[in-house]
Parts: sequence; C-alpha cells; structure tokens
Amino acid sequence: MDSIQISPGSVVGPALSWLNLNHHDVFAGIATVFNGAVSGIVTVLTYAPSPYVIGVLALGALALSGWRMGVLTALGLALCSVLGMWQATTQTIALVILAVLISISIGIPIGILVSRSKKLQAAVRPVLDIMQTLPPWVYLVPAVILFGLGSVPALISTIVYGIAPMVRLTILAMSQIPQERMELGRAVGVTKFGLLKKIELPSAMPTLLVGVNQCILLSLAMVVLAGLVGAGGLGAEVTRGLTRLDFGLGVRASLAIVAVAIIMDRVFRNAIPQVYLSKSLN
Amino acid sequence: MSDFTDSFDSNINDALMWVSDNANTVFDAIRATLDAVFKSVNWLFAIPPYWAVIGIVLVAGWFLIGRTFAIVAAVGLWLCFMMGLWSETMSTLTLVLSSTLIALIIAIPAGIFVGLTSGLLKASDVILDFIQTMPAYIYLLPGIALLGYGPTTAMCATTLVAIPPALRLTAHGIKMTPNQFRELGQAVGMKPSRVVFSILIPFAFPSIMAGINQSLMLAFGMVVIAGIVGSGGLGQSVYDAVRTLQIDQAINAGIAIVVLSIVLDRFSQRLGNVRLGGRHG
Repeated sequence: MDSIQISPGSVVGPALSWLNLNHHDVFAGIATVFNGAVSGIVTVLTYAPSPYVIGVLALGALALSGWRMGVLTALGLALCSVLGMWQATTQTIALVILAVLISISIGIPIGILVSRSKKLQAAVRPVLDIMQTLPPWVYLVPAVILFGLGSVPALISTIVYGIAPMVRLTILAMSQIPQERMELGRAVGVTKFGLLKKIELPSAMPTLLVGVNQCILLSLAMVVLAGLVGAGGLGAEVTRGLTRLDFGLGVRASLAIVAVAIIMDRVFRNAIPQVYLSKSLN
Repeated sequence: MSDFTDSFDSNINDALMWVSDNANTVFDAIRATLDAVFKSVNWLFAIPPYWAVIGIVLVAGWFLIGRTFAIVAAVGLWLCFMMGLWSETMSTLTLVLSSTLIALIIAIPAGIFVGLTSGLLKASDVILDFIQTMPAYIYLLPGIALLGYGPTTAMCATTLVAIPPALRLTAHGIKMTPNQFRELGQAVGMKPSRVVFSILIPFAFPSIMAGINQSLMLAFGMVVIAGIVGSGGLGQSVYDAVRTLQIDQAINAGIAIVVLSIVLDRFSQRLGNVRLGGRHG
C-alpha cells in the first residue's frame, strides 16, 4: 500500500467540529426550533386517545378525497394502533409532514427561480442529478455530525433529500406552461407577480402536485431510514427489532410503515382533482 | 392490546426459529452458493491493481460518456485509493454487481413472462408495490436470523430490493410494443418464441436498460445500508465510523460512496442509451 494518504475527512471533520464548537448556539437554536415543532405536532396527535385522533384524521381524508380514502385512513391507522405502534406512528407522521412542508417551501421557489434562466438550469441539473443518485444514507452523516443523534438530523437530511425532486419537477412544470397563456397575460397587462400567481402557478399545478407526491414518499423513506440515527418513530422500532433480533417487533413496525405509506400516497393522489390528472397525461 | 402484540411477536419469532431449525440444510446451501459467488467475483476484482481499474474507467468513460466525466471519475477513484479505502470500494462493487446480476437473472425472464400474460400484471404490481413500500432494511432481519451475520445476508436482501424495478420495467417494455409489430411477426409465420426474441425484446430494450439502471442504483443504496449487518465494504466503514464517532473516517467513506455511485449510475445510464443512438452528456 502507498504510505502517502489523502484524507479529506481529516480536514472536513475538524471543520465540522469547529462549526459545532464555535457556533454551537446556532445549531442548538435550529435544533430547538425543529424539536419544538415535531413535539408540537406529536402533542396534538396524542392529545386525545388514539380512536378519536384516528376518527378526526379519517374525517380529514374523507373531506379531502372522498369516503373510500376516509375508510382506508381509518383502517390503516387503526392497524397501526392495534399493532401497538400508535406513538411511533404519530412521530413518523409529524416528521414527514414537517419535512415535506419545508422541502416544498424551499424547493418550489428555487425551482421557479431556476426555470427563469437557461444558464442556471444547465448549472443546477448536474447538481440535482448527483443529489438524486446518492444513497440516502450519505445525507445522514453530516447531519449527525452537526446535530448529534435524534430527530433533528433526521429532519434536516429529509428536507435536503426532498428538495431535489421538488426543484426538478418545478422546473419541468414551469417549462410545460403553454406559451399562449403567458402571452395572453402579458397582452392584458398583468403584473409580473400577477402573472406568477394567476397564470403560471395554476398552469403548473398538475406537475407540481406530482412533485409533492414524490416528495412525500421519498421523505417517508428517509424518515424511516433515519431511525438508524435515533430519529424515533417507526424507523427506530425497525432498528430496535434489527439490533435486538426481535423479528416480531420489526414486522409490526414495518406493517405500520406500509400502512402509513399507502395512506399518504393514496389520500394525496386522490385529493388531486381529476381534471388535473387527465391533463397531465396529455 | 399489549397481549395481542406480545403473542404476535412470539408467534413470529417462533415461526422464524422453526424455519431456521428445520430448513437448516436449505439455508446452508443458499449461504454456500452466495458465498462462493461473492468470493469469486471479489477475487476477480482483486486481481487488477488499482491503476488498471482506474485506467479502464478513464478510457471507457472517455469514449462512452465524455471527457469531463472520465477525468472526474478517474480522479474520484484515485481518491478512493489514496484514502486507503480501495479494498472496501472493490468489495462494495462486488456486492452491488453480483446481487444485481442475480436479481436480473430472476427479474428479466419473470418480467417478460408477466408482460406476455395480461392477467398477471395486476397481481405482480400488488406484490412489487408491497416489496417496495416496506423499508428496505427490514429484509436484513430475516436474513440475519436465517443466514447469519455477513455478506450473504447483505446479498440476499439486496437481490430482493433490486428485483422490482427491473421486473416492472421489463414487463412495461414488453407491454408497450405496438400491436402491429406483434401481428407482423405472426403474419410472417414466426414461432411465438421468435416473436419474443426478435420483436418484443428489441422493442423493450430501452425500457429493460432503464430497469437495470434503477435496479443497480437501488442495490447500491441497499448495500450501503447493509453495512449494519457486517456486509463489509464502504457501508460498514461508514457505520463503524459513525458509531465510534470517527468523523474523518465517516466522511472519507461517504466520499468514496458518492464517487462509486456516480460512476455506476453514469455507466449504466449510458448502457440504456446504446440503442437510442448515443446521447453524450
């Protein structure tokens, strides 16, 4: 073996530790905010006994996307509760909801901005390619170094992981807007902001919603994986089953994850108005 | 409620115990086979010195994909060597390639079969959806119980994870072949097997290649996670480093993973474009 070695880690590692030591208050602040948000959602979800919460969530799904989805939500969440995973399920749901909301609110503006310039698009595309090629595990390492173990690094890496598909589909959505509509807007003298709000966003909506759906599913996968770094929730239960060789526990947690994934995917997909879907197929 | 979960757990654990007690010979055989595959592929990768591998990637990348990619990939792999992670990189590559290979041997014929029979498509979709919604690392659990700690478990779980995309996209490609071409084959009196091999498969080729790319990347993600069960390779380096808080080691292994994943992705994507007239990028 060569005796000369290069180790970027021994430069980056201390740099991260230095950040952690000298700007600890910044990271601690971020951690407190996110922890507060997560535990806030969990508190709301566990405020009442699980049957009531499941009832409310099912009614929400019913209002959003019809009675079938309401029944599906009720059955799926009831399954989680019967499997003894209610507490963990609420944590997972809280993490996913928070991460998706933040990913969307970062990803869509970036996507709109990037879609405005061809040069920026050419520069951003390889970055997005690489971000989506990397195994999700890689995102957890720096987050854990900066934020320690727990749900905050999980949340941060989930947000970062979810931004790439969101940006990509926003760019796609903006490029698919029919030119006539834009010209119409300009012809009747709509302001730039009005153009964005009244024409671009509504026209881009079908593809944007597909992006949000992808973002939800990817985030769920990441949150589950983050159980490895002590993120809590269903992923942590799977990890516990894995490390203790308790197969029963692992299976229960996995079934709950499948139930949550199916609910999130189907409820959201059915909440999209049918007109949009048939349009996006063309 | 806790009664139910307790009995659920003990039933499942007992069932697993029973299987591992009674089907011992089967699992030993699987283990021996996979071990042999792993060892021989790993041996193959260990023969050429590091500069030969980098040289091959450089030349192949230069001609197949592009100059920038070739240089970046070669520098990246050289970095892997200089970080002292060469053998880990190679054994990760071994795990990914051999499990993807096994997955493809199962998935492509199965995909062709599913694509040809209309009724099966729905059923296979349900099963594949189920496999794909389960968190991938749950497959490591029965693996540890039945096959023990080590690369065999990692390979089994990885193979399982890599099957769905290839199967799905193969079936999709077969399904998408325009009906006229099928009829053409029948009209000129081809045997059904010839219709499959000289009409359907060429048509499905780009889709099959896209499936291989996806399978490969999923397999890569899984191999990295499989470090938890002692698969060896870069995944285990990351996992061990994170657990012992050796930040620099974790970052080095992370960089090696990034390099390897980019190289694998570009090469397999390029494979998919072979028939489409080659798109340089």
